[in-house]
Amino acid sequence: MVDNIPGIVENFPGGSILVTTIDSIINASRANSLWPLGFGTKCCAIEMLMATGASHQDISRFGAEVVRGSTRQADLMIVAGAIVRKMAPRVRLLYEQMAEPRYVIATGACSICGGPFQYNSYHIVHGVDEIIPVDVYVPGCPPRPEAFFWGLLALQRLIKEGESIRRPDIRRKPVMASLPQGITMDDIQGEMRRLLEEQNVVNVAESAENKIWTKRLKEWMRKPSSKP
Amino acid sequence: MDAQALLQAITGVNPAAQERPNTNVPAVQVPVAGLHAFLQVLRDDPRFSFDFLLDHTAIDWMADGKFELVYQLFSTLHGHTLMVGVLIEREQPLAPTVSDLWPIAEWQEREVYDLFGIPYDDHPDLRRLFLEDDWTGYPLRKDYQDKNMLQRPQ
Amino acid sequence: MTVRVRTLDELLTPPAAGSSALSTQEYFVNMGPQHPIAHGSLRLVLRLDGETVKEVIPVPGFVHRGIEKMCEKLNPRQIIHLTDRLDYLSAVMNNWGVAKAVEKAANIETNGRIETIRTLMSELQRIQSHMLWWGVLGMDLGAYTAFLYAFRDREIISELFEETIGARLTMNYVRPGGVMFDILPDFQEKVKKLLKYLGPIIDEYDTLLSGNVILQERLRNVGVLDGKKAVALGCTGPVLRASGVPLDLRKLTPYGRYGDVEFNVAVGSKGDCWDRYYTRMEEIRQSMRIIEQLIDSIPEGPVNVLRASARISIPEGTYYDQIETARGVLGVMLVSDGKSPSPYRVHFRSPNFNNLWAVTALAPGWRIADIITIQSSLDLVIPDIDR
Repeated sequence: MVDNIPGIVENFPGGSILVTTIDSIINASRANSLWPLGFGTKCCAIEMLMATGASHQDISRFGAEVVRGSTRQADLMIVAGAIVRKMAPRVRLLYEQMAEPRYVIATGACSICGGPFQYNSYHIVHGVDEIIPVDVYVPGCPPRPEAFFWGLLALQRLIKEGESIRRPDIRRKPVMASLPQGITMDDIQGEMRRLLEEQNVVNVAESAENKIWTKRLKEWMRKPSSKP
Repeated sequence: MDAQALLQAITGVNPAAQERPNTNVPAVQVPVAGLHAFLQVLRDDPRFSFDFLLDHTAIDWMADGKFELVYQLFSTLHGHTLMVGVLIEREQPLAPTVSDLWPIAEWQEREVYDLFGIPYDDHPDLRRLFLEDDWTGYPLRKDYQDKNMLQRPQ
Repeated sequence: MTVRVRTLDELLTPPAAGSSALSTQEYFVNMGPQHPIAHGSLRLVLRLDGETVKEVIPVPGFVHRGIEKMCEKLNPRQIIHLTDRLDYLSAVMNNWGVAKAVEKAANIETNGRIETIRTLMSELQRIQSHMLWWGVLGMDLGAYTAFLYAFRDREIISELFEETIGARLTMNYVRPGGVMFDILPDFQEKVKKLLKYLGPIIDEYDTLLSGNVILQERLRNVGVLDGKKAVALGCTGPVLRASGVPLDLRKLTPYGRYGDVEFNVAVGSKGDCWDRYYTRMEEIRQSMRIIEQLIDSIPEGPVNVLRASARISIPEGTYYDQIETARGVLGVMLVSDGKSPSPYRVHFRSPNFNNLWAVTALAPGWRIADIITIQSSLDLVIPDIDR
């Protein structure tokens, strides 16, 4: 019922502008107040959930510091670590307990494809995307906190660009938030600093278009995935 | 007690015990009959006083049709270690439990049961440890097959 | 012959209510597998009467990846990187454990420089690991400040590791016959600076948390594990030492450079959570002492006695070797048939697996909130339990 309202409003004069404005406001607030679920199974949990949450890396700069213990209060699932066959039904259950809109970041090689345990392991799940849909992949073993922030920024960009209350059922295409060749840590930190200084958080994607790394990232993303 | 004296004292206690070759720690090989009594002597005799069961696991000698149970014992009093190896049949395996001697053995034996499928006689709580209760097969056996297990492409 | 295989569901059938009007009903509460206190994926099933814990049934296996099976297809060098992912907070020590077992089995002699670098890195990591535990214990008990302090200082050691090794967490550093990379020329200077910084910091930790009345109330006399019981339950590491058993492989069978340095083994007297807490705090200080003595005496020499491509052949036999990690004794059993380059069977005696079961003996009689304290004071790393 609520989902149909934008479609009705749009038919009135000026309604389209209203819907678009509301879209950007909703998306900006969603993207900048992600509440992650503290879901770490393995080594990545130390880096992704603990180190990023502590004072040195400080995830609260990106508005995602409210790590919840309960799925019902969270909207971002950071799958940090290997998922095995005993855990798989529980992961699915946790995902389904989360309220929409919900996002998933798979960090680390294990949760992307099984990582070092891909071969000869009888109990590994070859990538968490066999169980739940994943929005952003952050490769590494474990990824550096900066790489994770890169993935978080990618997710925020996705949310700001991709979602519309016109089509609540649409799902975004997953992104591999790998650091392209030639990008140094300084570039990312500079970019993060710039984003933080910039007041207008809605136009992040547009202003990032002109960067060299955006082109490289897009080229890289266009390549066929190595995953079957 | 140094390794040689220890092995000599053990053969004095259990004449069936043989020195296990090719190891870097003092090790003996004993038959499964009388294993529990033998380990009890090792624990209670003040000369040995192996009060610490460091580790218990199994090896699958598929070609010989045997499982080998391995006990790593340690004495906090004397500071010496001993490896005890016991061969049992691979078909219809059955091993005596030592969880009444060392409580930690209860869980170490559960791990062996889970991964090798060796049931323990009189074990107080024998069930799967790591894998789900409805898992079929015992993965650390050499002939274990699983379609989930990818082989590394050559 | 009485073999009876049970399932978890059988254990978890709720008992019937008592007949008397005042009797209480027991019930089960799950902690985990996704629970902030689990520090990973561990399921603890608590049988409760009101808020009093009657029984704890740990259900591990949610991170069981079958590393032991995987090792049967890998050669000794390739096993090393999997050991990082056992107890990832003492990755260098795990690497060293396997490397030492392989060296003993294949008769590889290392030199003084290699052993010194290994010892230094292990002790640095022990400090780092205990620091993380300290912060997380504070966080578990509601003192978030401790977590922030611990990670501020942990980050400094992480950066030191990253400079030398190239990784912050999963090191893959020690390999059979040497270490991966040589230390940088300014490593010694940086470590000395770190030690100078850490001395007052550890005192600050004491001022911040150790002396806190609430922390003392929650730790003292909670979860008492006496020495005999700790030995029977197979506990090692700080958990065992806090119960008054001075078992430390660094003293008992010195490996690396531990024979050349002076340090004390921290031992508790009672075995309660406070003893486990303070044993670890003391171990940080002792590790600093070890580093202080070794940092100026790193001998010259190559950091690898084997070429990277040299084939390591383990002769036929069964080999067992052990090492003291931050959490206890890591035993490595290598079985080789002498034919294939990969071992016939590898088994890890993981310290956390054996320490975990102490919780079944410690918890009964305490409240749910005390389970948090007890589990936190045992300092468990779940992937090491599951392997």
